[in-house]
Amino acid sequence: MAVYSLRRILWESYPVLVLCAAISLSAGLVLDSQMGSIKAFPLILAMVPPINGINNNVCSILGARLASALHMGTVEPKLGKQRVLRKNTRATWLMSIGVFWFTSAIFFGIALITGMGLARSIMLMFAFFAASMVAIAVTMLCTIGLAFLSYVKGLDPDNVVIPIVTSIGDIMGVTCLIIAIKLVMGV
Amino acid sequence: MGVVMPRELSVKTIVIQGLAILLLCAIIEIFAGNVLERMKEQLAVTLPGLILAIPPLLDLRGNINGALASRLGTALHTGVIEPKLSMSAELKVNIISSIILSFLASTTIGILSIGVGALFGIQSINVLGILAIAIIAGVVSGIILAAITVVVSIVAYFRGWDPDNVTAPLMATVGDLLTMVSIFLAAFLVV
Repeated sequence: MAVYSLRRILWESYPVLVLCAAISLSAGLVLDSQMGSIKAFPLILAMVPPINGINNNVCSILGARLASALHMGTVEPKLGKQRVLRKNTRATWLMSIGVFWFTSAIFFGIALITGMGLARSIMLMFAFFAASMVAIAVTMLCTIGLAFLSYVKGLDPDNVVIPIVTSIGDIMGVTCLIIAIKLVMGV
Repeated sequence: MGVVMPRELSVKTIVIQGLAILLLCAIIEIFAGNVLERMKEQLAVTLPGLILAIPPLLDLRGNINGALASRLGTALHTGVIEPKLSMSAELKVNIISSIILSFLASTTIGILSIGVGALFGIQSINVLGILAIAIIAGVVSGIILAAITVVVSIVAYFRGWDPDNVTAPLMATVGDLLTMVSIFLAAFLVV
C-alpha cells in the first residue's frame, strides 16, 4: 500500500492553507491602507519580506522544536517554570537578536548608500530593530500558546503550528514595521 | 518528526546552528525585499490591490514547501523514500500534490484578494489581472520550488544533515525570493 495518498495530502492541507491565506490577507490590507506612507518612504516595502521572513523562520524553528519536545514529553503543555521550555525560549531570543541586528545593520548601510544621511539612517536602523523585537515577542508567545493548545486538543502540533504562526507573524511584522517607521521617521 | 535532540539541551548549540541558517536567510530576504521595492509603481498605480495578495502568496510558498520538506524529511528518516534522485511512486505523489495545492491555493488567494479589495473599496481593481498574476506566480514558483525542495532534502540527508532542521527554513526563504520574482515577471506579462 502506498504511504502517501494524493487525496489525503490535498484534503488535509487545503483548509489550513485557505485559513492562512485569509489571515495573511490582513497583512496585505494593512499595507494597502498605508499606501500613502509607502509612496513617501518606499524602503518600507523592502523591509517587509525580511521582517516577515525572519520572524517566521525563527518561530518555525521554535514551533518545530516545541512540537518534538511535546511529543517526547520533555516539555509539558502548561505555562510556568520548565527548564526545557525556558532554554528553548532563551535560545530563540538570542537567535532573533543576533539575526535582526545583522539585518538592521544592512538596512543602515542601504539607507546611508542611498543618501539618507547619517542621523536618519541610524534612526531607521533602530526603527527596524524595535519593530522586529516587538513582532517576534508577540509571535513567540503565539507559537508557545498554539503548540500547547493544539497538543492538548489532540492535534499534531507539527501540522498546525507552523502554518498558522507564520500567518500571524505576517500581520505582526507588517503592523509593527509601519507603526515604528511612522513614529520614528515621521512619514 | 525525526528531530534529533541531544539529551542535555544546550542553548549555545541551538543558537549557533540556528543563527548560521538564519543569517543566510536574512540576506536572501533582503533581496526579496529589494524586488518588492522595485515594484512600487505597479503596486501603487497600475495594479492597485495586488499588494493584498503578496503576503498570502509569500506565506503560501513557505507553507506548501515547508510541509513538502517536512514530509520528505520524515520519509527519508523512515526509509519510505530512498536518498537518490530518481522518481519513485511516493516521491511523485508528494511532488504532484504540492503542485496541485499551489494551483488551488493561488487561485483561492486571487479570488479572496479581489473580494476583500472590493469589500474595502480599493479603487479600479484589475480583477482578471490580479487573478492571472496570483495563478501564474503561484504555479511557476511552485513547480521550481518543488524541484529545489526535493534536491535539497535528498542532498541534505545524504550529507548527514537533518533535513528537518535545514530544508524548511531554507525553502521558506528561497521561496520568498522566487515568488517575488515570479510576481514581478507575471505583473509585466499581464499589464
